[in-house]
Amino acid sequence: MKANATTSSVKSSAEPKPEPEPEAEISPSSPSISALEALSVHLISGLGLGLALLLANNVYSVNLVSHPSLTLLLISVIECPIVILLYSRHRKNREECSYLKAVGRGLLGLPVGALVISLGAIALGAPVGTRYFLTTINWSLLMSLFTIVPAVSVFGSSWKDWQRIFAHTNCRPIGSLDFMICLPAHGAIIGAWLGAWPMPLDWERPWQEWPICVSYGAMAGYLVALVVSFSLILVWARFEHVKRD
Amino acid sequence: MEVWWRSPKWEQIRVFFLILLLHGVAILIFTRGFLLTRTELPFYSHCSDLSQSPCFSSSSSSSSSSSPNSSRCWTKPVIDRVVIIVLDALRFDFVAPSTFFEVSKPWMDKLRVIQKLASERGSSARIFKAIADPPTTSLQRLKGLTTGGLPTFIDVGNSFGAPAIVEDNFIHQLVQNGKRVVMMGDDTWTQLFPNHFKKSYPYPSFNVKDLHTVDNGCIDHLLPTLYQDDWDVLIAHFLGVDHAGHIFGVDSGPMIEKLEQYNLVLEKVIEVLESQSGPGGLHENTFLLVMGDHGQTLHGDHGGGSPEEVETSIFAMNFKKSPFSIPPEFDPSSGGHNLDGKKMYISSIQQLDFAVTLSSLLGVPFPFGSIGCVNADLYALGSGTLNSEGTNLEKCQHQSELEQWKQNYVNVLCINSWQVKRYIDVYSASSLIGFSHEDLLQIADVYAQAEKSWSNTTKKLFLDQNECSDSLLPALKMQIDLYVNFLTSVAELARSKWTEFNLKMMGTGFSIMFVSLLIHLLSIKWVAKQYGASFTCGDSGILLGLIVACFVVVIRASSFLSNSYILEEGKVANFLLATTGIFKLRYAILRKKMLLEAVVFLLLITFCRFTIEIGLSKQAVTSQFLNAYPSWMMSMVSQFPAWMYIAEVVPMLVLILLSYLLYKTISNSCFVGIWKYVIMGTILSYMLIAVHWASESGTWSLALVSYGIGRNCIPRMIYGIGLGQLSLLAFSQLFNKDKGLDHSKSLVVKTVGMLSALSSVVILLSGKQGPLVALASIIGGCCIMRLGNMVNEAKDSMSDPLAIDPLPVTQWNLLAACMFFCTGHWCAFDGLRYGAAFIGFDEFILIRQAIFLTIDTFGFSHILPIFALPFLVARQNMLSQKQFILMRLSQVYLMYGLITATTVTVTMLCVTIHRRHLMVWGLFAPKFVFDIVGLILTDVFICLASLFYFGRVEKEVLQNPSTEK
Repeated sequence: MKANATTSSVKSSAEPKPEPEPEAEISPSSPSISALEALSVHLISGLGLGLALLLANNVYSVNLVSHPSLTLLLISVIECPIVILLYSRHRKNREECSYLKAVGRGLLGLPVGALVISLGAIALGAPVGTRYFLTTINWSLLMSLFTIVPAVSVFGSSWKDWQRIFAHTNCRPIGSLDFMICLPAHGAIIGAWLGAWPMPLDWERPWQEWPICVSYGAMAGYLVALVVSFSLILVWARFEHVKRD
Repeated sequence: MEVWWRSPKWEQIRVFFLILLLHGVAILIFTRGFLLTRTELPFYSHCSDLSQSPCFSSSSSSSSSSSPNSSRCWTKPVIDRVVIIVLDALRFDFVAPSTFFEVSKPWMDKLRVIQKLASERGSSARIFKAIADPPTTSLQRLKGLTTGGLPTFIDVGNSFGAPAIVEDNFIHQLVQNGKRVVMMGDDTWTQLFPNHFKKSYPYPSFNVKDLHTVDNGCIDHLLPTLYQDDWDVLIAHFLGVDHAGHIFGVDSGPMIEKLEQYNLVLEKVIEVLESQSGPGGLHENTFLLVMGDHGQTLHGDHGGGSPEEVETSIFAMNFKKSPFSIPPEFDPSSGGHNLDGKKMYISSIQQLDFAVTLSSLLGVPFPFGSIGCVNADLYALGSGTLNSEGTNLEKCQHQSELEQWKQNYVNVLCINSWQVKRYIDVYSASSLIGFSHEDLLQIADVYAQAEKSWSNTTKKLFLDQNECSDSLLPALKMQIDLYVNFLTSVAELARSKWTEFNLKMMGTGFSIMFVSLLIHLLSIKWVAKQYGASFTCGDSGILLGLIVACFVVVIRASSFLSNSYILEEGKVANFLLATTGIFKLRYAILRKKMLLEAVVFLLLITFCRFTIEIGLSKQAVTSQFLNAYPSWMMSMVSQFPAWMYIAEVVPMLVLILLSYLLYKTISNSCFVGIWKYVIMGTILSYMLIAVHWASESGTWSLALVSYGIGRNCIPRMIYGIGLGQLSLLAFSQLFNKDKGLDHSKSLVVKTVGMLSALSSVVILLSGKQGPLVALASIIGGCCIMRLGNMVNEAKDSMSDPLAIDPLPVTQWNLLAACMFFCTGHWCAFDGLRYGAAFIGFDEFILIRQAIFLTIDTFGFSHILPIFALPFLVARQNMLSQKQFILMRLSQVYLMYGLITATTVTVTMLCVTIHRRHLMVWGLFAPKFVFDIVGLILTDVFICLASLFYFGRVEKEVLQNPSTEK
């Protein structure tokens, strides 16, 4: 049943534009943001994550190893408004789409993205069962915040943009905004993928449980990708500047 | 007429044969160095055998051969009862006083009672340092202790799967000679000796986390049994120290608690034995042995050959009061002081010598395959009282006790040497891989020398009956030295043969394997170059596919370096397959094509993943390394009885679906003549399989098929149809009829025909899961093929049509690996489904059953995927030219072979690195065996497939190359 949902969701998102070009084109309304704005977005989302971890550890005295599910939920709750509000400010097609609408679609994208991600995780071998149900949901909410929600807030259901951001093999972003969405999302996914590798080892450490090391991997990947994306934005801005001159 | 090796067909496929040859040689050499094998001989020693030996049948001189004791067998029994207390994983430093070591550690000096007795009663109690031989795992050690041999990883014998010892052994000899054996503790003993014990109290040993069940069970039964008189040999096997080591390590509280507990138990045991040891008491002539089967490292691991693992201990104590003390010149032991500063001795013994020494003490025949030597110190401890019964003490007043003891010992060694020589001769004659000729000659030489001296000494002994001379002692000593020399050289030879890896051979094998990988790579390039295509091209899709494929293969290969990933290999393969699936989905989103296929593929992988987990939970039941999985699926199955009914019906429905699919394919126009008949045969087979299953399960009351006939008749019919189809295909291959089909279509027809011919037998042997797995393979294969085509279609316009995407081949390989685990197999010998070997046949014929077992094990993971590989090529470009298809086909086969060979090469590297690892025999070696068998099968099937698929098409290419262009 869930599987059908993914199929249809993928399909429905595919339907609106019947014949898109495989090659990405430079869309005229692609917003470009200044380096300062980019810095603030990166800093706030990175700091938000750090703050959430600190808060969970010191105020609620839970951490990923002891209470994985609760901690993940806590991080998601703190990160959710930050990401949605932050990225909605940089929405595309500002004239058609109000700020509230962007926030709304971001909120809508959160559970849908979580569903897609949890299905992917189950295909990759995430444990299934009542014991893991809540943990998996909370984990995929967090992953959704890292990957899907920013893109939903910014692009909505524009298939062409989605293709460009997530499917292009030689990721050819055409603006600093693209870097900002594409790189952290890929970073989080690759980090989570790598984070799954220690799980089968027989070290018998508590953090080898699902989804603790995967979450650590995802967060580390996300943070690294934030740094990379910011430096790339700086380089790219200079490059553009030189070219314009 | 061209010579055969220059014919174009041969040119195409010779590379496959070359690779098969290289792999075969590499694996043969590597295996000779790594997998030590020994043949178990089905011979047993008997009391009457001794008449063939040159030795005296009784312990004293020939004059007393008319002894009234008729039960006397090979040696004169000197003890009546034995209590053997085995403490698993008993390190030497648990027993020996800490003064024997440089530093005193917290776990030392805990078994105080042993140390006290050993220092206070040097003549009747003694600590031995016992040296075990690797592999130091309990099962192998118990086997070694009781058979007196050197068990290897593969003891070729007739115990097919069951661990029971079929070789001659100490326990068997005890039972044969009327001794009553009682066992308590570790249930490995009852597995090894299923019907030998008069009474047994086994406790499960595989739960490592449980420190107390086995020990408490032992203690409960041990003390009451000591008061009973209905046994002769008592074995109590304690496991706590081993388990405590595995979980907490040696330097831990639980370990010390365990040792202190054992100290108390031993005190009580000795107290009871002591109290009954008076004349006429229950334990008047009882021998106590407290021993370890192997040592352990500080982390609690064992299995390898490091000193910590092989050094264990034996404490022996004789309860018969004896004035006789061991002659000092026999003492090779290291002297030392105990904690109170008293002098004490610790002797040394090889574990190999245990069985034969104890046999000689109890007076039973030595196990046939024993290569140990009767240990002088341990024998002296047991037999110290012998001389008081000596008959000729009065005859010769001058003859010292020592002399007589030595005479006795020489005779025992004589029997011992004769028995070992007999074993070596029989073994060399009957084993395929025996000892080398020079070694045998040398051994025979040493034995002949000892024998010659023996006949001289014997004469002297005869002379000495009446007059005592001083020259006797040196002669006896020389004789003992000669025998010991012979026995140690045999043991040394056996060790080099059965316990030492031959690193040079392993290195050579590995290097050849590595070279074969390079040849593989080069030949992929060569094939492409022959047709004027470059292997890699600028197209981003292919390049990225190549990178991903290499990445996945390298990751999967390197995961074999760790035992954890080998245990969960199915999950790892599935994880990687899912990763490539997600990658493909990404590509599908980019192209906006075949999204459905990509999603179906991912769903299929999810399905595989659950079946793999069911297989893992089955494995966890028997595996000692894998933790039990909380399997919610198993509990679900048991909860709903309706599930059972569904499990009966679904396979049949799927079978019908499969037949329908086949029917639809033959209604396609391109299936004509012979192919049509082949596929009709398969449909018939499927129907027969359905009937067979229906008649087997009781729920379907089929009046038509009577049970007795149906059970064996239908499977045999299916085998017959399968063989018929194959011969039909081979026939059509030989006498090629002209067909007006285009080549990729004819390739498809051939592939479908071949697969359908093979599938029925594979499905039948796989049991009820067969049709489901077959359907899953078809769907998976379809998805991979179509997704692979997407890349090619996308790039036709812009780049080289000859470039081939390695990603689908990699996926194919991963899917095949997943199918291996989906069908409930795993890389261990208890994972083989022996039941499959007996479908259709009740009696056991080794070759036939081995073939069935191979088909069942490798059917879905090797045979079918390899023969199905042309699908990846055939559909790619329907109108492409013939030689392009051939080139692609050979490239695909080369890539597939390369991927398999890469993983096997890494497995070889892994077993070389981990050859002293704790799990080398439990985990790495079975994985290695499965991998090499898989590789050789892959190579053989690739060769067969290349013969089948390449044969005709190539000839046509030669005949009319112009029409192609």
